[in-house]
Amino acid sequence: MGIDALARELKRGSTELLILALLEERDRHGYELAGLIDDRSRGAISFHAASLYPTLYRMEDKDLIEGRWVEKAGQRRRRYYRLTAVGKKTLASQRGVWDTFFEALNRVARIRQA
Amino acid sequence: MDWKARVRTSLASVGVADEVAEELAQHARAEYDAARADGGTHEEADLRVTALLIRWKAEAPALRHRNHRNRRLEAIEPPAEGSSPFAGIGRDFRYAARLLRRQPRYALIAILTMAIGIGATTLLFSVTYGVLVEPLPWPSAERIVVLKETRGGNPPRFNSFSNAAYLAWNDHAATVDGLAAWSQRSVTLTGAGDPDRIRVVAASASLFTVLDARPLIGALFEAKDESAPVVVLSESLWRQRFGADPSALGRSVSFDGEAHTIVGVLPDRLSYPDRQARAWIPLRVPPASGNSLSMFEAIGRLRPGATAAQAAAEGTARGRFAAETGLTTVAVFGSNGPLEIAAQPLRDALTSDVRRPLIVLLVAVGLLLFTATANVASLQLARATTRQREMAVRAALGAGIARLARQLVVESLLISLAGGAVGLALAWTLHGFLPVVLPADFPRIDDLDITVVAVSFAVLTAVVTGVVFGLIPALRARRLDLVKALTEDSTAPVGAGGRSFTSRARMLIMSGQVGVACVLLIGAALLGRSFLVLLATDRGYDPSGVLTARIALAPATYPAPLRHALVRTILDRLEATPGVTHASFTSEHPLTPGGSTSAFGIRSSDGGTITVQASPRIVSARYFSAAGIRVVDGRGFSETDTESASPVVVVNRTFARRFLGDAAVGTRVPMGGGYEQVRREAIIVGVVDDVRYLTASDSSQPEVYYAYRQFGARLPVSTVTLVVRTLDDPSMLARPVRTAVRDADSRLVAESVRTMEEHMLLGLARPRLYAIVLGGFAASALLIAAVGLFGVLSYTVAQRSRELAVRTALGARRVDVVKLVFGQTMMIAAMGIAGGLVASFVLTQSIAALLHGVTPHDRATFVIVPLVLVDRRCPGVAAPGAQGCETRSSARPEGLTGDQEIRSLLSKLLVSEREDRIDAARAMSRDEPGRN
Repeated sequence: MGIDALARELKRGSTELLILALLEERDRHGYELAGLIDDRSRGAISFHAASLYPTLYRMEDKDLIEGRWVEKAGQRRRRYYRLTAVGKKTLASQRGVWDTFFEALNRVARIRQA
Repeated sequence: MDWKARVRTSLASVGVADEVAEELAQHARAEYDAARADGGTHEEADLRVTALLIRWKAEAPALRHRNHRNRRLEAIEPPAEGSSPFAGIGRDFRYAARLLRRQPRYALIAILTMAIGIGATTLLFSVTYGVLVEPLPWPSAERIVVLKETRGGNPPRFNSFSNAAYLAWNDHAATVDGLAAWSQRSVTLTGAGDPDRIRVVAASASLFTVLDARPLIGALFEAKDESAPVVVLSESLWRQRFGADPSALGRSVSFDGEAHTIVGVLPDRLSYPDRQARAWIPLRVPPASGNSLSMFEAIGRLRPGATAAQAAAEGTARGRFAAETGLTTVAVFGSNGPLEIAAQPLRDALTSDVRRPLIVLLVAVGLLLFTATANVASLQLARATTRQREMAVRAALGAGIARLARQLVVESLLISLAGGAVGLALAWTLHGFLPVVLPADFPRIDDLDITVVAVSFAVLTAVVTGVVFGLIPALRARRLDLVKALTEDSTAPVGAGGRSFTSRARMLIMSGQVGVACVLLIGAALLGRSFLVLLATDRGYDPSGVLTARIALAPATYPAPLRHALVRTILDRLEATPGVTHASFTSEHPLTPGGSTSAFGIRSSDGGTITVQASPRIVSARYFSAAGIRVVDGRGFSETDTESASPVVVVNRTFARRFLGDAAVGTRVPMGGGYEQVRREAIIVGVVDDVRYLTASDSSQPEVYYAYRQFGARLPVSTVTLVVRTLDDPSMLARPVRTAVRDADSRLVAESVRTMEEHMLLGLARPRLYAIVLGGFAASALLIAAVGLFGVLSYTVAQRSRELAVRTALGARRVDVVKLVFGQTMMIAAMGIAGGLVASFVLTQSIAALLHGVTPHDRATFVIVPLVLVDRRCPGVAAPGAQGCETRSSARPEGLTGDQEIRSLLSKLLVSEREDRIDAARAMSRDEPGRN
């Protein structure tokens, strides 16, 4: 695997993890997710809103999350996403994998986990 | 700005789904608003959106052709109108099937409920039809009558017809084509494979002409064969022992050592009296003379046009010329009064004692079916309420009321037909177990089959119930108020509980279900109690800890002295067996039909002579202790009552009371009871308690017991029953008893080796069966009613949630709400129980004849059953009410209290209401293209 491909995989993996983590707190719509990813990664993950929706749809296809239209009084209807049972499990296992990964990096390369 | 249009235009070359476009448009608008909020100009904000759109276009392949999976179910398009009343009925069915598939739990409950109802009804119908209606297998069997003789109104003590009456009538019969005499017994079959005990019918040759039976092969014996040693085999015996080989004709088999030549084979279908009979040998009716009377069963075939009553009258008239048989007549009939003959059509005679139970059970299963149907009807009704809007929309679009009604009926038909199919499969399966479940003496047990009639019955039942419970909601559709249904913003207005047509109908149905459960429970409780009374009735002996076995000592093989020696040897061996406390035998054993009786003169206390009739029993010394028969006066037999001692007898209480008052002990009676030619006298040394021989309700007859060792080392009888008592489990004695019998003579076999309690249960098989079947129906009815009540009440509670929420908002506490719902449940229960009690009071009369020791209006049963019904622990009535309340309260989100709860409830209602509206709009928008 080339460096580029690895970066791409890491990025894709980390984006999904971020979305799962954000939806764990509560149901959110796409715009809110985009803003939060930017905020929470303090800009470190350059994540453009344009690739958010394909990611969401892919995750929905994988049954990690599910979207539904919700209407609130005085607002337009918006599509909210929430974690599915599969999503919850994936989040838990991914957290474990990342923890192990960071630990290993730290031991070998003395990179500190942020 | 129309953001969606802008997104669509921008992504036009790619093509994205409508919902994706909408979602992206929302994002774009938010982006624009955010830019403006940050202080940007319109142009700056618009630029940000344009940049976003360009990026999206680049990502387009991942967005294209994507349809959001819609978590909301797609509205199912109702079938379109057609011109003819039956046009599109297939589409109606498909529509109904799709609706059911969407609600699998509802469909499952409804179909299973119908399956139980239809399955049980079909099974019982097939049994009832097979037993009571299906024609008998013999040609023109309606002309066959069963004949019974009485003297002075008394039936004989065994069998039903005497040779005296038979011969007097047979020679001059005008109303009957012929009379036939028969009797059956068990014999040991040898000469065709392993020895076996089989049932053999000894019959006059006329039996086959009366039955109009034709042989499978060979011939049936004729009048000239009546003294010849010939035999007609049953088809099953022929197949089993001769492999259906026609060359079996002319070969010989032995019954109890007597050889018989096979002359023909009778088809099993025509087997008489039932398929337990394996062979027929000739019976020559002996002339009635002197003191000899021969007893058997008799049937006759009516001449065309003659009735059973005419035959009976003729028989009675001819019978008055019967030979005089004096004391023997008294012995057999207990009277020498005028002879009378009764004739009953064969079918009635076979089935008369199961007719009433079968009809009672059929009514009961009808009630069960009603409950099942009512259940599905009320569930349908509840569904119909929520579908009011759908119906209103469809009506508004021009669907006729008849068309909507048809749709509802088709839906219920689908449920009942599916239920009918499962029910039929259920009935079929259970039918296979009938021969095991039904008592062996159940009439026509071999004729039972699930026939075309039964299948048609199931289908018809399914269709009728389907139409009925489809019409109830359809009636509702007829009363549909379009404006109200379309404008009403909730399904149940405040305070509507119990006032609308639907809720009244539902309450009525549910009360009916409780009522039916009440009736069935009372019936089952009465039969169950009656069975327990029968079981506990004192029969004059103690059945616990006793094992019995029959030994047949055919006189041809075992002459009287040998029989005596063999029985002594067997008893000695058994006495020595560990665990045996008493080993004995008797010639007449309780619970075994048949027997003999004798009449003799004794001197009464005032010096005169009285004629007494009594049944003799030859027993061994320890019989009374072994069988647990109480000695009420004097003594029982002892080991010293042997040939060398002076003859003694023991009589039963009825003998003493009827003939000797209280001073029986010491009276002299003739020794031997017809078993001895030498006239000797014996002294009554004891009186024992009466024994009820066959059933607990038998009246007791006079009996005389003789000690077997006082007959000169000869055993006058050829069949004895061993009675062995132990302190342990009596079934453990089965092997030692078999071994003891075989060791005494290797050709001897112990038959019917059973504990006395098993014997009693066999005798009570029918009452037990009726109680169990009715109990099963009652339990099913209770379960069905509980499922229905629970379903409907939960539904009602859910529907009234607006009302309940408003009440809560106005200050009602939770306990008040619970009371409200619970009160309604109790109201239904009270109505149902009241109706059920009244119905039971009337209906239990019909089972009065089946009850023993319990009256049909048994107070305890009528009090306890309603209490059971309203008990919280019982799954009948109270439980669904309580659960219904729970359902409501558990719907409350965790951690919410007071105001929050109300707001949450209200907002939920608002959301669901909006969803309803969206659905209606959808239904409407989809309806339109269909109509064009």
